[in-house]
Amino acid sequence: MFKLACASLWNRRVSAWLTVLAIAVSSLLLLGVERLKTQTQNNFANTISATDLIVGGRTGSTQLLLSSVFHIGNLTSTISWDSYQHLKSLPGVAWSIPLAMGDSVRGFPVVATTGDYFEFFRYGQQQPLSFADGAMFANEQQLVVGAEVAVQLGLRVGDPVTVAHGSGGPSFSQHDDHPFVVSGILQRTGTPVDQALYIALEGLGLVHGEYIPASVESGDHGHNHHDHNHDDEHAEPPVYTLSAVLLGLQSKPLALRLQRDINTYRAEPMTAIIPGVALQEFWRTMQVFERALFSISVLVVITGLIGMLTTLLASLRERRREMAILRAIGAGPVQIFSLLVSEALVLTSAGLVLAVAGLFGVIGLGGELLQQWFGLSLSATGLTAAEWRLIAAILVAALFLSLVPAWRAYRLALADGLSVKL
Amino acid sequence: MSACITLEHVRFRWPGAQHHTLDIPQLSIQRGEQVLLRGPSGCGKSTLLSLIAGIHCPTEGQLQVLNQPLTALNQRQRDRLRANEIGYIFQQFNLLPYLSAVANVALACQFAPARRQRLQQQGLSVDQASAALLTRLGLSTAEQQLHAQQLSVGQQQRVAAARALLGAPALIIADEPTSALDQAHRDAFIEVLFEQCAAQQSTLLFVTHDATLAKHFARVIEFTAINAVQREAKHV
Ligand SMILES: Nc1ncnc2c1ncn2[C@@H]1O[C@H](COP(=O)(O)OP(=O)(O)OP(=O)(O)O)[C@@H](O)[C@H]1O
Ligand SMILES: [Mg+2]
Repeated sequence: MFKLACASLWNRRVSAWLTVLAIAVSSLLLLGVERLKTQTQNNFANTISATDLIVGGRTGSTQLLLSSVFHIGNLTSTISWDSYQHLKSLPGVAWSIPLAMGDSVRGFPVVATTGDYFEFFRYGQQQPLSFADGAMFANEQQLVVGAEVAVQLGLRVGDPVTVAHGSGGPSFSQHDDHPFVVSGILQRTGTPVDQALYIALEGLGLVHGEYIPASVESGDHGHNHHDHNHDDEHAEPPVYTLSAVLLGLQSKPLALRLQRDINTYRAEPMTAIIPGVALQEFWRTMQVFERALFSISVLVVITGLIGMLTTLLASLRERRREMAILRAIGAGPVQIFSLLVSEALVLTSAGLVLAVAGLFGVIGLGGELLQQWFGLSLSATGLTAAEWRLIAAILVAALFLSLVPAWRAYRLALADGLSVKL
Repeated sequence: MSACITLEHVRFRWPGAQHHTLDIPQLSIQRGEQVLLRGPSGCGKSTLLSLIAGIHCPTEGQLQVLNQPLTALNQRQRDRLRANEIGYIFQQFNLLPYLSAVANVALACQFAPARRQRLQQQGLSVDQASAALLTRLGLSTAEQQLHAQQLSVGQQQRVAAARALLGAPALIIADEPTSALDQAHRDAFIEVLFEQCAAQQSTLLFVTHDATLAKHFARVIEFTAINAVQREAKHV
């Protein structure tokens, strides 16, 4: 029966191929969306780990998350250096990473931080950052480059880099008098870490004229910035304001209490978020789009299957002679029925095989482009359980839809018998 | 000789029709007989054949084929009986156009385990037997591999005959198989059909409206003589 179904389909191969193609393309869309969804979600969850709190000026939690972790958007509110000192001194804080952002190199964000960033920052499953080449910045004129930036800008250790103020392209005011030199290139992480450059806070202060290195300081006492904080007990801060601070705590359960304390800090309005919670909240807002995309692709698959239904139904008219011959050699209506069901399954399976091949083809051949153009990183891992479930669902849907032409063929076979008047 | 086909008071009416198409008080055909059933167009010959083939069921009466009371069998049993024991030849378009001639013949065993078994007993595979039968019916090895649509109508009918004959079913039913052939081909076709039926002791029920074929057959049944339904009555 199966062989007959194949032979019969081969006889109608043009329409059969088109049907297979429609099913393949629509299933590819569905599988692609599914893969995109899960892998982006994973990438998302992998962007940051070990950090218990992210603190910034008074702002929305999504905005703080996006700017501090994903380097998306600008934070208008900041926190002062004094508040940072306060945060560091809070009980239970194990480590802190100050972040100051706002500058860029040819569109890639520049993050000013301290050496603690390379020591304490974790992504994925508690993975630390490591250097592919060179080392972390040793002074305010050195700069560390994320893996993707290094590739895109063709930067190597020792190369000079000019930092521009603002996040735009090179047309923005460039701090030409403070060129940086690449001191190290980070190992690829698959997170936004790859997409940024890192300088010391002092480097940023220097660029913005907020900080005078000690050597210059001792030579030139007349600098007004120095005079300004002359009687301050603390050392001169490298910058006056920070965009965000990442905090690691001695024990995770402390996070909730500290969050409340920080959010109600009197001296300066601040926002503290727990990264895991904020990521989930953000993901929930993203789910609206993701669900919409998924629903659309489900509808497209249904369209593909209805196309198959139409083709099969239309073919029945020309195939009444074929059915009568099969009846004559002893096929019962049940066999005619199963012939049409198996045809539908053959078409759908072929479409699905093509779709899966297409999925891996797109990821394998076009993965690079997707990464570059849309920042989507898809990996060609084997089919996940969810993807298998989708494939099974499509097959089951095809099976159910095929009952329509199968039933019609069954009725025709009974009515026509052996006498087909064409 | 035992009976191959027996009809007693068989009546048949198409669903929705006002009159009976068939009303046959009695008809009996013995095993091994070669019978010509002759009648004018539209009198119900094909209808009778579809009853005998177990496609449709008599509205009333008793119909036995090969000692099986068809009226007592269910759809699947009738389909199985047809597959195993009845070879059917249509007037035209007997073949699946997308299969080769030999594959079309082999199709006869698709739903017919008994036919396959009989071939096995002769030590033949389905393909071997199909090819051998086609050779005997006059198709060259090259022609046997051609697709059905590449064959002439006469060749197609011989392939159809081979399919009906494969695996020695007890009954061969031919519904005007020669009406698309010319005189010479028609006679040749009937000749080989007779030969093969005799060789494997199959009963042959041959239907036609062509009176000139009667000379080939030992027994000729005039359809109007056995069918009590008057054609005129149908048109009233
Ligand atoms: N599938 C069908 N449904 C309803 N009525 C039918 C059907 N097939 C045949 N009939 C009716 O049964 C009658 C006999 O038809 P049938 O095909 O048996 O004639 P026939 O003797 O085989 O004619 P011919 O020699 O032209 O083949 C016709 O009047 C026809 O209208
Ligand atoms: Mg007829």
